[in-house]
Amino acid sequence: MSFEPKILGIACNWCTYTGADLAGTTRLQYPQNLRVVRVMCSSRINPSFIFRAFQLGADGVLVGGCHPGDCHYNTGNLYARRRLAVTKKILEFSGIEPERFRVEWISASEGNRYAEVVTEFTEQVKQLGPQTKFKISR
Amino acid sequence: MASSFKQIEDKLKTEAKKLLKTGQVSVVLAYGKGYDDNHPMPYIAKLPSDADNIVFNEYCTHNLARYLVRYPKGTKIAVAVKAADSRAVIQLIQEEKVKREDLILLGLPAYGMKNSKTGEIIDSQTTCGLYNPVLYDTLLGEEVHGQPVVSPYDVLAQYEAMDKDARFEFWKKEFDKCIRCYACRKACPMCYCDPCFIDQNNPRWGEKSPQSHGNLMYHLTRFHHLAGRCIDCGECSRACPVDIPLYLFHKKVAKECEEMFGQASGMRIDDKPVLVNFRVDDSDKILE
Amino acid sequence: MLKKTTIDKLPDLAAHLMEQGTLLAPVQEAAGFNFQVIADAKQVDLNFHNTVLSPKAAFFPQMEDFVRYQTGKSILEAVPVELNLKPTFLFGVRPCDVKSFTIMDIHFSGTGLVDPYWQKRRQAATIFGYAFDLDQPAQAEEFYKTLGIGAADPDGSDVFMIRKGGDLLLKGVTLKGEKLLTQLSLLTAASADEEKYFEDYIIRGRDFKTRFTFLADKNIAKKLEDIFHDSDFWMKVSGACLSCGVCTFVCPNCYCFDICDETLFSQGIRRRVWDACMFTDFTLEASGHNPRTQVFQKLRQKIKHKYSYHVRKYGVISCVGCGRCTKHCPVNIDIFSIVEEAMKA
Repeated sequence: MSFEPKILGIACNWCTYTGADLAGTTRLQYPQNLRVVRVMCSSRINPSFIFRAFQLGADGVLVGGCHPGDCHYNTGNLYARRRLAVTKKILEFSGIEPERFRVEWISASEGNRYAEVVTEFTEQVKQLGPQTKFKISR
Repeated sequence: MASSFKQIEDKLKTEAKKLLKTGQVSVVLAYGKGYDDNHPMPYIAKLPSDADNIVFNEYCTHNLARYLVRYPKGTKIAVAVKAADSRAVIQLIQEEKVKREDLILLGLPAYGMKNSKTGEIIDSQTTCGLYNPVLYDTLLGEEVHGQPVVSPYDVLAQYEAMDKDARFEFWKKEFDKCIRCYACRKACPMCYCDPCFIDQNNPRWGEKSPQSHGNLMYHLTRFHHLAGRCIDCGECSRACPVDIPLYLFHKKVAKECEEMFGQASGMRIDDKPVLVNFRVDDSDKILE
Repeated sequence: MLKKTTIDKLPDLAAHLMEQGTLLAPVQEAAGFNFQVIADAKQVDLNFHNTVLSPKAAFFPQMEDFVRYQTGKSILEAVPVELNLKPTFLFGVRPCDVKSFTIMDIHFSGTGLVDPYWQKRRQAATIFGYAFDLDQPAQAEEFYKTLGIGAADPDGSDVFMIRKGGDLLLKGVTLKGEKLLTQLSLLTAASADEEKYFEDYIIRGRDFKTRFTFLADKNIAKKLEDIFHDSDFWMKVSGACLSCGVCTFVCPNCYCFDICDETLFSQGIRRRVWDACMFTDFTLEASGHNPRTQVFQKLRQKIKHKYSYHVRKYGVISCVGCGRCTKHCPVNIDIFSIVEEAMKA
């Protein structure tokens, strides 16, 4: 059986989540490996969510937010951009594959883009194989 | 010619005494005698006569900025600061934890500081590579010049060159040693959260038991919380009873922040900490 | 009867012990020596002064699982974690640390309320005490003499060891120890001279110089009680304290713990982990009230617990003067100086 990764998606309510909705209503096909959690803004994402997701067995984490400048709260994603960039560097230096973590700006009208990103990212994580470094084993 | 430790100590005593006598400050944070000469302690002088107990030698590595947040706002404090310590003070001012006008900074130009546990010189390795305080009101001694300038990030090269799996193993081994005494966060001048995320019960961010995953969660999150705020004093590593080289990770994050956002922490009072700030033209490249 | 072997044969001795059970002995690590379960007999190294962490973890591990359960299921389905102990040999424990076990015994099993985990581990263990080297000066932090502990006191050990040049002299102190030594065939009988050396060494150990000003006795407990409300004193001595947990975690006598439930999805484990009186949430009550928030209150609690409350409750001071707390304190706070100053206050 081929490896089916578990991927956590964290999507902002106003853009990416709505974009995902659009992808759904337009009946676009994309892999089902992503489990999406909706947050009000990408800046609501505590970096610990990402560390924790990896610990609890996620093979990849995909964060989606509005395009810079389009944030529903004006500046939320601009803070998130800096913060998540740091998260990525920390993941990288700690030794986990940084490719397992990805941030994408997807607007409410970009259903196609959403399906594309999810397909591409799932494929990428599949290539990387199961994530075992952070995963808690008992 | 740099001033000797003894000269600085004398000046520090005189200055502390003067400040306490005139009532300009109610507290002077400096160093005092410990159980032997190699183990001085942070010392809190409140009376002019206390100033006589002040010492300063090459083992006075502690970052006194750590104690600033303990005092109620508005307390007039004089604090003895070395290079990294002064950056910590600046960072605290940026974060509005203390006010510049409440502080008198007694600058200590110090070269050849030593770790009291191991006796090794720490200047270039575990401290920010500067010898003179960045900000001070009175400099107690002459500025250090002509000493080799070492980039504080040089020590990282060897770890950056590692293969990611090897690096993971390296950190796993180090974090597995952790006994969760939390000396690192308590010695850190920038760790003032109450409660700390790891002490929270609901939600519980990481396990309390000293196992790999709880330790990893604690340390990685702490590195993240100190991103763009760590002023590289190295106190966390010196406080650690099991010698985890935490400073390496902090340095790495500081280096990345400096490269990505073009600002080193604790250098100018008017700066904003990088992670509570943004530029519209920040590049998306930083996320790659 | 006194037995002997040479230091060169230490790996053989270790291998013998490993055949009979689990061997815990000092091993050189990056930050210094520590007790470890020995996998390779060659690892055992007696060229240490004292370990970074105290050997208490052998009987009171930092993490001990009690019960495994599934959330949402009946409590009747919870499974207690059984202790499957092999005989354990705790090799090379310094006299002050051995003393700490006897003090902890009172708390964990001596008052009628028995902690089964402690007791079982204790019963399974044979302790090899190891005298300090009297020709080397004591470290600046140590003050066991103040607490009436000699540098070569065999009390509390099952087997006591003294090093004489390239030889290691071993003597059974308890019946258990004596029996074990007779079984170890690689040991040879010691001469009468060596026997005399051994006895003299123990006596010499009593006068071994560590920091000492007075013999710690019940007066300290009384005095500390008298100055409980002297906040100025406590604030002065705790001025530098960061309220981290290093001192408690390296202490051979600190036994406070927390019981917590840790779940991963529906799999839960109830376990005990070390806690420290220096932590903010140590005294946090369910109501949200915290009676001990100030640093001086926490340090006062720590010192008074050891030198006053413990004396009132059990009659002994809960400190053995190993000096670990002082040595590892990030800001060099010295418990000995504080007690000394308290007596003057």
